[in-house]
Amino acid sequence: MTENPQEKAKLVDEIIDVIAAEGMVDKSKITPDATIESLDLKSVDIVMILTALEEKFNVYIPMDGSLQEAKDVKSLIEALADHIEKEREKQ
Amino acid sequence: MAGSTGGAGDRRVVISGMGAVSAAGIGAEKLWAAARDGVSQIRELKTERPYDGRIKIAAQVPDFDPAAYVESNFLPFCDPFTQFSIAAADEAMAQAGYDRDDIAGPRTGVIIGSGIGGMTTIDDGLYFYYKEGIRPDPLSVPRLIPSAAPTTLGMRYSCTGPTFAVGSACSSASQALGIGMQMIRFGLIDKAVVGGAEACVINGTIRAWEALRVLTPDLCRPFSKGRNGMSLGEGAAVFILETLEDAEVRGHTPLCELVGYGTTSDAKDPVRPDVLGSSSAMALALKDAGLEPEDIDYINAHGTATHANDITEADAIGRVFGEYGARVPVSSTKPVHGHALGAGGGLELAITICAMRDQIAPPTINFLEADPKCPIDAIPNVARRIPIRAAMSNSFAFGGINAVLIVRALKGNGADGV
Repeated sequence: MTENPQEKAKLVDEIIDVIAAEGMVDKSKITPDATIESLDLKSVDIVMILTALEEKFNVYIPMDGSLQEAKDVKSLIEALADHIEKEREKQ
Repeated sequence: MAGSTGGAGDRRVVISGMGAVSAAGIGAEKLWAAARDGVSQIRELKTERPYDGRIKIAAQVPDFDPAAYVESNFLPFCDPFTQFSIAAADEAMAQAGYDRDDIAGPRTGVIIGSGIGGMTTIDDGLYFYYKEGIRPDPLSVPRLIPSAAPTTLGMRYSCTGPTFAVGSACSSASQALGIGMQMIRFGLIDKAVVGGAEACVINGTIRAWEALRVLTPDLCRPFSKGRNGMSLGEGAAVFILETLEDAEVRGHTPLCELVGYGTTSDAKDPVRPDVLGSSSAMALALKDAGLEPEDIDYINAHGTATHANDITEADAIGRVFGEYGARVPVSSTKPVHGHALGAGGGLELAITICAMRDQIAPPTINFLEADPKCPIDAIPNVARRIPIRAAMSNSFAFGGINAVLIVRALKGNGADGV
């Protein structure tokens, strides 16, 4: 994970933007404790979100357990940010 | 023509020969050796045109020279998926003890499954047409149709019985075997050339699979903690089916008996597997075979190493096998030969038959640590010598089609028959 809190906050914000756009959810509803269910995000929405993140950040994010098991927005974003950080380190 | 054609459905069906083309090379024995020894055939991706995707690995058939297997009069009509099926079918015919014309006529069916058909022809055609403005090859259509594989085999062996392709994604090969078995059982035909063929490790397809997020960027590790997807494979597996009676009359010792087939549809979700669908297919196959769960000594799982499949499949095994479900040896050999889609069930059945012949259950490689959500004995990393009298092979497809096959050893062949 990044050591820079500002960079991390920016990344999280960008991820939230993508979730809002691709999942077609009102950004104000995407709070850390909101559940995936409450946002009505289906598996196909997650695929669309991952695809958009791939294009935005130039990374590949496989559907592993950390994403599949994320129950709330906080854990989903953490899993996504973690993947993106790891991929960035490789580049 | 031997045996009843009365339609009682009681004719016993055997597998008299088999052949395989896979990332392990040409021949079922090469595939088996790789699976048994746990040697992955997933390598750096090779494509004709530069590939701009992120997944750079696949289980591709290495160094395949079509002209070595396909006659020059057939070759212009053969997409790689048909070429693979020809190489596999000739191997199967030879093992079955049949010459080219021995199975000719209307009592032999040819049923080959494929997820897509001639994907290389489609991909090339579209690329050259849209990108380069070049007209498609005039033989594109006969090459790309999914029925090109069974019809070409039929032409080569002069089989004029029921001939068709099965297009059920990753359950295609298993359904082709199952329907072939049923047709022989009920006396509609006496012999069948059955199996699956796929050749779609090509730019457009890999990119589409990538977009679904089911491909691993590193290692395919079914049922293990830390799994993150599958690797694409390709190839073909072809089997010669006939009645036990016919095989005995001509003095041929079959590989095994094909005793059970169950197929169901989830009818729920295009991509998410459902435990009711997969478990009911396994239960139907057992019922069809007249076997109890405890009679199954080894299961070759669908085991894609996607998060969702493996949990659902382990759950389904638990539901059907009960307490024995945690003990029955189960492995996924996909980390060795990749997920060959429409050919997958065929390659895996070939491995299952060899496992029964040699009494060795192949391992699930790349296994790190048991996932509590997959409470099965996944034969982690190392093959296991065990008595195998009957074995199950699972195939579950996108769209929700499930197909399960059960093979049983014949007396004096591998383990004693049940």
